Amino acid sequence: MHVNYWREVHTTGPGRFGLGLLILMATAAVLAPLLTGYQPTAHTGAPFMAPSAQHWLGTNDVGQDIWTRLLYGARTSLMVGGGVALLSLCLSILAGCSAALLGGLYDRLMMRLVDALIIIPPVIVAILAAAYLRPNTTLLIVVLSLLLWPGGARIVRAQTLSLKERMPVYAARTFGAGRLHLLFNHIIPDLGPILIALMIQDTRRAVFMEAGLSFLGVCDPTMISWGKMMQHALKFVYLDVWKWWLLPAGFALSLTVMGFTFTGFALETALNPRLRKEAGHADN
Amino acid sequence: MLIIKDLKASYNGLQILKGINLNLEKGRVLSVIGESGAGKTTLGRAVMGLVEGRCTGEILLEGKSILACREEELRRIRGKEIAMVFQNVEDGLHPLYSILYQVREAVLVHSPKDKNAAEEKARGVLDLVGLDKRRSLAYPHQLSGGEKQRALIALSLVNNPGVLILDEPTASLDALTKADIIAVLKRITKETATLVITHDISTAAALSDQMAVLYGGRILELGDTGDLLTGPRHPYTRGLLRSYPNMTTTKDLQGIPGRMSHHVEGCPFHPRCTQRIRICAREVPLPVSKDNRLIACHRGGIIPLLEVKCSKSFGPLKVLQGVECVLHEGETLALIGESGSGKTTLAKTVMGLLRADEEEIRLEGERITKRTKDFYQRVQMIFQNPGESISHRMNVLQTIKEPLDIHKTGTGEERLARIRQVLDEVELPADDDFLKKYPHHLSGGEAQRVAIARALVLNPKVLIADESTSALDASVQAKILKLMMNLQEKRGLSLLFITHDLALAKKISDRLIVLLKGRIVEEGPTSDIIYQPLHPYTRALIDFAPLLKDRTGWNGDHRWNRRTGENMPQTASHFKRPPANPAAGCPYASRCPGVKDRCYTEKPELVACSPRKVACFYPGF
Repeated sequence: MHVNYWREVHTTGPGRFGLGLLILMATAAVLAPLLTGYQPTAHTGAPFMAPSAQHWLGTNDVGQDIWTRLLYGARTSLMVGGGVALLSLCLSILAGCSAALLGGLYDRLMMRLVDALIIIPPVIVAILAAAYLRPNTTLLIVVLSLLLWPGGARIVRAQTLSLKERMPVYAARTFGAGRLHLLFNHIIPDLGPILIALMIQDTRRAVFMEAGLSFLGVCDPTMISWGKMMQHALKFVYLDVWKWWLLPAGFALSLTVMGFTFTGFALETALNPRLRKEAGHADN
Repeated sequence: MLIIKDLKASYNGLQILKGINLNLEKGRVLSVIGESGAGKTTLGRAVMGLVEGRCTGEILLEGKSILACREEELRRIRGKEIAMVFQNVEDGLHPLYSILYQVREAVLVHSPKDKNAAEEKARGVLDLVGLDKRRSLAYPHQLSGGEKQRALIALSLVNNPGVLILDEPTASLDALTKADIIAVLKRITKETATLVITHDISTAAALSDQMAVLYGGRILELGDTGDLLTGPRHPYTRGLLRSYPNMTTTKDLQGIPGRMSHHVEGCPFHPRCTQRIRICAREVPLPVSKDNRLIACHRGGIIPLLEVKCSKSFGPLKVLQGVECVLHEGETLALIGESGSGKTTLAKTVMGLLRADEEEIRLEGERITKRTKDFYQRVQMIFQNPGESISHRMNVLQTIKEPLDIHKTGTGEERLARIRQVLDEVELPADDDFLKKYPHHLSGGEAQRVAIARALVLNPKVLIADESTSALDASVQAKILKLMMNLQEKRGLSLLFITHDLALAKKISDRLIVLLKGRIVEEGPTSDIIYQPLHPYTRALIDFAPLLKDRTGWNGDHRWNRRTGENMPQTASHFKRPPANPAAGCPYASRCPGVKDRCYTEKPELVACSPRKVACFYPGF
């Protein structure tokens, strides 16, 4: 009866690939201090050194170790991605479920708000926000979350509308269950897989947007970020040393986004029975 | 003619009769029914002055108090003014004398002068009771049971008593003899004031005009026989009728829980009553007269538990149009109708899952405006598909525990104990292995029983079953229905049983409501409706109800053959004449075989057609 999503995802090719990439990135981020001997901000050598035994990926314009900065950059990316995913997911659930369960005027207003928010281009808003407020990581997470939740809210609402018409929910209502009971005991557990898919999608978008904004310079100057690395690297196009600086960050970003994409794809295949070849069940 | 006032009788301090008030008139027959041990025979004997224990109160025979009479006087009264036909046919007759001799003897006791006249009279009476002339010379051991019974009746009648007491006059007789005896008794009782004491309700029904229900030495209900039998209002009377096998009732037999005891404070029936309240154990209910019926019950008889009145439409489609129904305590009300007639909508509206356009719902007389937890504690519902109504994420334990969690009843351990108890009640294992099973591990029958257990765990009074067994195969369905019937018997569960299966409704319901396009077209006791449907739609439903053998069905005057389909009654596919304005006329007009012009233009209202209601201009055409 229960589809084992974990197994569905990690036994398919794309799923395995995506998860592998994600695990790689997460490990790099978590174990960053162990994987390098340098501090990310420390000037450890001459500027623009080519890769060598001391500096695996060389150094940048001020002599910081690129490998180290790459590892610490993964932290930023994943933290922003995860934070945005969690926060926007909470907002999506709050808005989507409440709209579906309460219905009526509230539902209509909420959905029009969602429509309005969806058409706002997030990058412009983020740039404006950064221009007026002092950009920092927390602000970035909040701004991105505020911009990303409407898409999820729509999906959550649609799914909740369908879930609340299911018999167990009716049955629970005949026991006198309140809306909160229905939400926490019947609707959210059944939303689970969709929420995970949403989260992965949000994380992917957030990682990409964070890199993009950093690339545009809309970020905390002290933050270590792949986007910023690329931006700095491109400033040195006239010297012939920028490749060592640009490419690792670009690859890391691509691999992370790919990891999320493939995992999301595998999960979607598992969730959508029409895309699934054969269902694996929890009990067999 | 005979007035019994506050009659009390006791043997060795055990009080058998506890204040009986009865009134017998000439030409009227009063029957007293009840379980054995209720004090019926003692009542008869008390009237005869034959009780060996202590008797208090008053028995007035045309103004003369029998209890005050001395034995001498009593002897003169017995047989002459009051006569009794005793219960046991074998013991009432002397084995050494012929019947004629014994009957003549009875005359001579009271007027010892004229032997010839006495013999003449005896012959006349024996003729009256239908005992053959030649047989009257026989000895008791030469007679059959029926003949002996006739002899006994003759014996009691021979002195033209004004009051006749018949104690189980037809017990242990076969049906045909019984019918004969009843015919004899019917002739006789025109002239006397008669008290029939019997546990055989059909005899009482055939003989009496009035019926009293005796229990634990008290009269619980008294009323006109016909009314009382079609609409018993005291829970004990209903239990008695439900446990009595007969050809009229279609519902399966049900008993009354518990045993009768004479040492009961308060209402004598309260330990076995399913609608008892606190006062029932403390005070004796006084008989209250209402609508030509005397009922001794603190709750005023069987209470109307759920009263529903609602209308509901989805856009232009009127799904329920002023449907009114009443569900009594401990009753099964079946809601019958083809699909789309609004049955499920009604159930969902009552449960508050759909918002009605107009509704008036009363639970135990109390108007329900908001569905509170208290409402859901008392009214529960079982859904159609058991597999769907149980969340696939919950195991048996979590499923059944959910209502308890919502209502926050008891501690964790109490909840678990309650769950085990309720699982036991629905005949499912209550061990840990079973509690850990998920719905997909259960069979259809098990899943439905889990759903029932979940509905019962709050101990509701009303259970709404929406096609709750239609997804199951017949043997599992039978088990589940039996379970529900047992629960009804044990704790007075009221069932609103929604089904399209008339054969099923016939076996389990007390009353039937037939829905058609959101209107009630017929309502009444199930047996009446099945026996003689008044609305053509009901008739069609009966025509197409499952049969195991070909039988001629109803179709007006035609008979139809199921196998060949000859003279087949109208179905949905046989449109006679589509109405010009479907909203105007009778909703069944287009399909009705007996449709008249009026049916197309006017809407028939639901009118009383006692004890039923029917919405048809030409009921039972």
